[in-house]
Amino acid sequence: MENDKLMKNISTILTDDQINTDPEELYDAAADRYKKYAKARKVLDVPVPLAIVYPKSTEEVARLLAFCNENQINVIPRSGKTATEGGLENWKEQTIVIDALHLDKIIKIDEYNMQATVQAGVALQTLEDELNKVGLTTGHSPQSKPVAKYGGLVATRSIGQFSTLYGGIEDMVAGLECVFPDGHVSRIKNVSRRAGGPDIRHIAIGNEGTLCYITEVTVKVYRYFPDNNKFYGYLTEDIETGLKVLREVMVNGYRPSVARVYSEEDARQHFFHFYKGKCVLLFMAEGNKGIVEATSRGIEEAVDKFNEGIIEEVPSELIENWFVNLNWSQQDIDDEFEGMIENDSHDGFTTEISADWETIPKIYHNAIERIRKEYNRVHDLTMLGGHSSHSYINGTNMYFVYNYSINCAPEDEMRVYHHPLQKIIVEETLKLGGSMCHHHGIGKFRNEWSKDEHGTAFYMLEKLKKAFDPNGIMNFGTIYYQEEGAKYQK
Amino acid sequence: MKIICFVKLVPDVENFKYDYERNVLVRENVHQILNPEDCSALSVALKLKQENIDVQVETLTMGPEGCRPHLEDLIKRGVDRSILISDKSYVGSDTYVTSRIISRYLEREAFDWIFSGTHSIDGGTAHVPSQVAECLNIPQMGNILRINQAGLFSDRVRTEVDSEDAVLQFEIERPAILSFQYSTKIKLPYIKYEDLERDVSGQLEIVSNSRLRFCDTETGIAGSPTKVSQVEVDSFGRKDTRFLKCDDEGIEEVYQFLKQRGIVCS
Ligand SMILES: Cc1cc2nc3c(=O)[nH]c(=O)nc-3n(C[C@H](O)[C@H](O)[C@H](O)COP(=O)(O)OP(=O)(O)OC[C@H]3O[C@@H](n4cnc5c(N)ncnc54)[C@H](O)[C@@H]3O)c2cc1C
Repeated sequence: MENDKLMKNISTILTDDQINTDPEELYDAAADRYKKYAKARKVLDVPVPLAIVYPKSTEEVARLLAFCNENQINVIPRSGKTATEGGLENWKEQTIVIDALHLDKIIKIDEYNMQATVQAGVALQTLEDELNKVGLTTGHSPQSKPVAKYGGLVATRSIGQFSTLYGGIEDMVAGLECVFPDGHVSRIKNVSRRAGGPDIRHIAIGNEGTLCYITEVTVKVYRYFPDNNKFYGYLTEDIETGLKVLREVMVNGYRPSVARVYSEEDARQHFFHFYKGKCVLLFMAEGNKGIVEATSRGIEEAVDKFNEGIIEEVPSELIENWFVNLNWSQQDIDDEFEGMIENDSHDGFTTEISADWETIPKIYHNAIERIRKEYNRVHDLTMLGGHSSHSYINGTNMYFVYNYSINCAPEDEMRVYHHPLQKIIVEETLKLGGSMCHHHGIGKFRNEWSKDEHGTAFYMLEKLKKAFDPNGIMNFGTIYYQEEGAKYQK
Repeated sequence: MKIICFVKLVPDVENFKYDYERNVLVRENVHQILNPEDCSALSVALKLKQENIDVQVETLTMGPEGCRPHLEDLIKRGVDRSILISDKSYVGSDTYVTSRIISRYLEREAFDWIFSGTHSIDGGTAHVPSQVAECLNIPQMGNILRINQAGLFSDRVRTEVDSEDAVLQFEIERPAILSFQYSTKIKLPYIKYEDLERDVSGQLEIVSNSRLRFCDTETGIAGSPTKVSQVEVDSFGRKDTRFLKCDDEGIEEVYQFLKQRGIVCS
């Protein structure tokens, strides 16, 4: 279909003020934070979408999707725009971005049943603020909390900084509503548990906009006891000591809301004022008083058990102060963007992976060693380290963090720096049986390893795509590798 | 026209490591960067080369062999030839001996101009360019903000020099050392993607003492007249720590603290 005709058809579904074709906004919509530097320098190599549209109801979403499906037009669902892995990057000449801007209602806060229902475009911070007024919390706190919205949070299987206590978004979603490319609306009801066949919530949770458009979400909510929070910090000899303490706390059944260990290099970025060149281990105990006391004891006992690797305790105020300022606001994101326009630098990149307790230190050291030995621009690295920030009874995550002096043209930055570094980390992770993405999603730049990530189970993902999106209109290139998109990757 | 640019590799001061137990800077595995003022000087030279095909740019570095990847990058950015003066016996040389070593190399080289930064961010003495000029018996000018580029092709170049409260103009005769100040206005060209893997080893030359022929007692710590009697390292130990909340009271207190020290004005 010709572009003009396509836009005419869209304007029969939506009013003019729901259709955005402003060139600057379209350029902005062509990529996310994966190509943040090229974007800031105005050298993006991908096509811009034709329009960003803002439906006001589930019905409008359904009509838009059905129209795009019939006419084979690529659709990119969008909510808070904090995607980091290319999930919002556009690889097709004819693309419509469906933005959840006007799906912005908090539908219900149900204090008795401890659930809240929101539309996809409600920012996490907005719901959190409303819940706090009545002594409740979402328990969800990704660093992008002030900006990310529920559609994206669910679509990426996001996880927050208090995950050790509250879990990831998948532990919070009670039910949801989503729309498939053929316009079918599915509502998954909100119950405390069910055994009605496979858990179909997980077709929508983590789909990254490749199977359906999420329009509404019901999440569990929790009692909020901020005054009881207790913070702990320690300097440790090495990252292994920190991991051992984290494991000890977890396997003993304690659930501090925050449990983290930082490598020396990463600690320097966050705790310059007290890290003394060492690794930093930290905890936050949260909940009602009795639980906080028990959790605190559990932390102290675990630290005691591995005291030969603990150098000293850090004043808890330092940890608390750091924590309060950890989140990224829209202003922080904009400031980094401005900085990238002026300087040949940015605030760095990350790759987040997970594995069991035994494997995580091996992956960490193997990846770092391989980067130091093999990576041909190693002399440009200004920082390479990582931290574990989400722990489970059977393992933890590793958030590799790196930055570098950029000595190539902005359009080459990804293929010269971030992508080769990410490749080494992913390869080392998959080699030892870990997962190549712990919480950012696959996006478009790890899709070349999607098959390796899932092995024989990739069959199931492929079938899902064929069943729900047979015309392949949903977020082309995300999760599923596409030869046509390879030119934008490397 | 041939321009030789001094380029020093310095530790990235924003990323240094400090050993709090021994109270010393950790120098192993420290990320190295090109001295920013040297980069500014080299950027001027490379821009000139881009605009005039008969301009030839060489870099001259004294340092360990670990500098190689950075110098190879400079060649990939457009430098014609890179010289690394490197010898174990030169380790620990003070600015005077360093200047003598560099000068001995330059005595046998033809050049029209030498460009350098004024200061390096690790030493900061600004000795080397002026001492090299003295050894070679040529003029030198520091703190240069701008030059009249056309002058480089004649026998005299006009320079604008920062002298704190004024910008002064000087003319200097060729050959001379022009030492620049840091400028954000001019940057090194990027390395092109196709050039990243280009083998440039043929354009990089390592010059050791077998060519410069100093005797043992003339270089390194032994040969350096500067004697360090005592090093006092600023301690990074914890000062009186006070915890403030990020509320109006906390903000006011920080504001008053900065105001008292003249860091912010009312
Ligand atoms: C500074 C910063 C810190 C971050 N910290 C964390 C963190 O701590 N934990 C974490 O998990 N992530 C983190 N992220 C990543 C990101 O914030 C999360 O992935 C977040 O869940 C994305 O939400 P969003 O609303 O911004 O989604 P968007 O960026 O708009 O979209 C993300 C993906 O979801 C799809 N999508 C969006 N809306 C819908 C919808 N309605 N239906 C179907 N698909 C949809 C998009 O197509 C895209 O693939 C961080 C990002 C930044 C920039």
